[in-house]
Amino acid sequence: MLVIIMMMGLLTVYGMFTDPIEQKTRIELDENAVVKLVDRDGNEHDRLARTQIAGYRVVLDGEVRNYSSKDIERYDSSARTLIEVKEVNRFLNKSNLVLIAKDASFFAIIAVGMTGVIILAGIDLSVGSIYGLSAIVGAMALQSLPADTGWIIAVPVALLVCMTVGTLCGLANGAMSVGLGVHPFVITLGMMAVLRGLTVVIPQELFATQSISGFPSSFTTGFFKAEFYGVYPVPVIIMILTAVVGWFVLAKTVFGRRVFAIGGNETAARYTGIPVGRVKVLVYTITGALCGLSACAYLGYYGAAETNAGNAYELQVIAATVIGGASLMGGRGTVIGAVLGAIIIQLINNTLIIFEVDTSYNQIVMGAAIIVAVVIDQTKQRIQAKRA
Amino acid sequence: MSDADTPILIATNISKRFGHTQALDDVSVSFRPGEVHALMGENGAGKSTLGKVIAGLHAQNTGTVVLDGRELIPGSLDDAFQAGIRIVHQELAQCPNLSVAENLSLHDMPKKRFTVDFAEMERRAAKLVHQLDPNIDVTRPLGYLSPGRRQICQIAASLDQDESGKTQAKVIVFDEPTSSLSISEALVLMDITRELAAMGLTIIYVSHRMSEIFTCCDRVSVLRDGRFVATNVVRDIDEPTLVEQMLGRRITTPDAKHASSPIAEAIEETLADAGATHDSSAVDAKKIMLSVRNLRSPGKLRDISFDLHPGEILGVGGLVGAGRSELMDAIFGLDRLASGEILVDGEPVPAKHPQSAIDAGIGYVPEDRRNQGLFFNLGIDENILAPIMARLAKPMGIRSLDKELDAVESRVEKFQIKTASLRETTPGELSGGNQQKLLIARWMMKGTRVLLLDEPTRGIDIGTKTEVYKLINQAASEGDAILLVSSEMPELLALSDRILVMGEGQIKGELVGDEMTQTNILTLATSEEQHAGATSM
Repeated sequence: MLVIIMMMGLLTVYGMFTDPIEQKTRIELDENAVVKLVDRDGNEHDRLARTQIAGYRVVLDGEVRNYSSKDIERYDSSARTLIEVKEVNRFLNKSNLVLIAKDASFFAIIAVGMTGVIILAGIDLSVGSIYGLSAIVGAMALQSLPADTGWIIAVPVALLVCMTVGTLCGLANGAMSVGLGVHPFVITLGMMAVLRGLTVVIPQELFATQSISGFPSSFTTGFFKAEFYGVYPVPVIIMILTAVVGWFVLAKTVFGRRVFAIGGNETAARYTGIPVGRVKVLVYTITGALCGLSACAYLGYYGAAETNAGNAYELQVIAATVIGGASLMGGRGTVIGAVLGAIIIQLINNTLIIFEVDTSYNQIVMGAAIIVAVVIDQTKQRIQAKRA
Repeated sequence: MSDADTPILIATNISKRFGHTQALDDVSVSFRPGEVHALMGENGAGKSTLGKVIAGLHAQNTGTVVLDGRELIPGSLDDAFQAGIRIVHQELAQCPNLSVAENLSLHDMPKKRFTVDFAEMERRAAKLVHQLDPNIDVTRPLGYLSPGRRQICQIAASLDQDESGKTQAKVIVFDEPTSSLSISEALVLMDITRELAAMGLTIIYVSHRMSEIFTCCDRVSVLRDGRFVATNVVRDIDEPTLVEQMLGRRITTPDAKHASSPIAEAIEETLADAGATHDSSAVDAKKIMLSVRNLRSPGKLRDISFDLHPGEILGVGGLVGAGRSELMDAIFGLDRLASGEILVDGEPVPAKHPQSAIDAGIGYVPEDRRNQGLFFNLGIDENILAPIMARLAKPMGIRSLDKELDAVESRVEKFQIKTASLRETTPGELSGGNQQKLLIARWMMKGTRVLLLDEPTRGIDIGTKTEVYKLINQAASEGDAILLVSSEMPELLALSDRILVMGEGQIKGELVGDEMTQTNILTLATSEEQHAGATSM
């Protein structure tokens, strides 16, 4: 948590001291609007030399709006448009922040489930593949729907299909690692390969393609890519809802506390009658289901499923939980931290883009950031432990 | 033979503290070349600690260890090793995945340019191992060998030689070498011990098995409560005298239950002061609360049957490794391989799962607080409520914080657990005594009728101990049936209404009334053959 606040602060400060970017907005003028040019003394003119213009006054139905000449790049009287230019902070502006949150949301949703897995002292490497397979199967279902299907049908169908696939995969992970007594690293490593294989094979065999698209628009622009105030917030909203529910389950339910108990001391958990196996299977299953949910949001937002969807997501997701303060030794971690961790990862990507760093450097910076974040967190823990 | 009578190793005025525990108090013992010298005592008498101080595993607080006239650096395993002291650990400290040969040369692998010279390694290992047991294949992974052979390999490792083929070890400390071995394996090991002594090595043999002392040792030094009692020549001493030295008093009256031990007296006194003296008349002998029938578990328990009445405290005595904790685990449903029947109040406990045991009214405070009991990442409240959080919860498994707070507050108050906060404080911040009280409090809920307590006062101070005794008595007087495992004899004798003595995974005998004495417990516990009066129902 501390790490995240520090990084955000750093970026904000950095954003303030670097050259701002110019954001141009085109203001369409109503036919009835009257535009007057204003000089330095505040007098209105119809015509004025360019150097004399101090501002523009737009009057429409008695309503007056003033623009300073600094803000207006150009006034086109024939097209009746004003081009407004604003300098905005490179980092802190509405569309950039929503963009970061949106990009983060796809794997942040999965990170909520992964938090539970990591708290259990387990690991799930197959999340990226579960996400990919859910997306492909969900896309096949959506494609088969008529193009004019309403969202009231398309959304539940997609959710049901994607989440069923995810749930079954997660259940298989949990049941195998608990039932066979094999470390989840091995089981989910195997599942990662198997499921990714299926993700590629299925569209290839059935449609001879690498991507599936052609969904009802009610599902894409009508729901998951619906526009509000110039941004597309639906994936972000789903991420926030998932995080709230995840936080509630881990903090406020018996099941959640059992997850912590098992991660803290599995032997003691057995000695207090906690059904260790059942809790573990359930956590992996929920993680699978969340992969399905995330895949569904991805389908809706991008309107297509690619066979490489979710490639290397497992690393980003695990990194997000770890940056968010979860301990791979188990017993510690927060959902909120994981979501913020996901945002941090996206933030780093975004920052590098803003500062026009070649994207090839992303991995280097990202990897270093993970290590730094964890070292800072550990140091903090150690200091706290000493104080106690 | 004046040469053989001159000590090679002299430990003088050794004292060692662990926190509040005085493990060794001004102990002086000397060892001669070529002898097998046993260190004997009850659990916790300090015999193992002395062995480890000599081997440099522990640094003594005061005192010196002198080998061949040179004083060793306290707590330096390296220095002790250089001087020629080896230790064969109680727990087999080896890598089971590596071959015997690799295990034997872990500290000094022979190299051939850049690679390990396996042929040389195996040759060296074979030379060492085959002098003890020619049938061991040094190329096999160590984990594939029987415990006895693994033990032999560990001994072989301590016989490392220099370039001229001379054994460098002068003194070998055997720390409970037979604790994980079968009887026949133990016999082989004792033969080897004699052979090593015949080679001129000094063997320090830490053990509590009476028969082994008489089979293979020359002299025996007895420790009690961290103090040196006496060094005896084994030939000149008999078993009762040795037991007497271990217990520290003459066995004159058969009724020694309430006498002589300061701890026992302290227990009785404080309990009387608190008005909580355990009253055996509270036992309802007509009813049976817990009934264990023919409980077996492969390699752990052999046909155990007994009954436990409401209000009764049934003590379980025995030495480390007797199978007492295993019995508790099996009753609580933690041993999947166990067979046999467990009935609570006449009702059989259905499944071999702790949840069924808890539902039937069984509570279990395990032996190892840190590893089996506490959640160090959770608060005091959740640590106490772990078994019943689900029972208190609202529908959908949502925690009921009000009910939880009530349940925790009343128990923290009743048990006087000293904690800064119920929610924020974690068990790691509590004292050992408070941790232990927390674990007992965990089971003080409605519906618990049988309490399994495994070493409930281990490692806590005397003040908290009496508090725990009071709580145990209180639970019994309220009609709970209590099964109490304790290695502290006075505690066991003072609290129990009856005592079962276990050894080698079975019940060696049952002691009631005047039979409940330290001598009888120790005699039964160390007896090799099954006792005539064993309760084999």
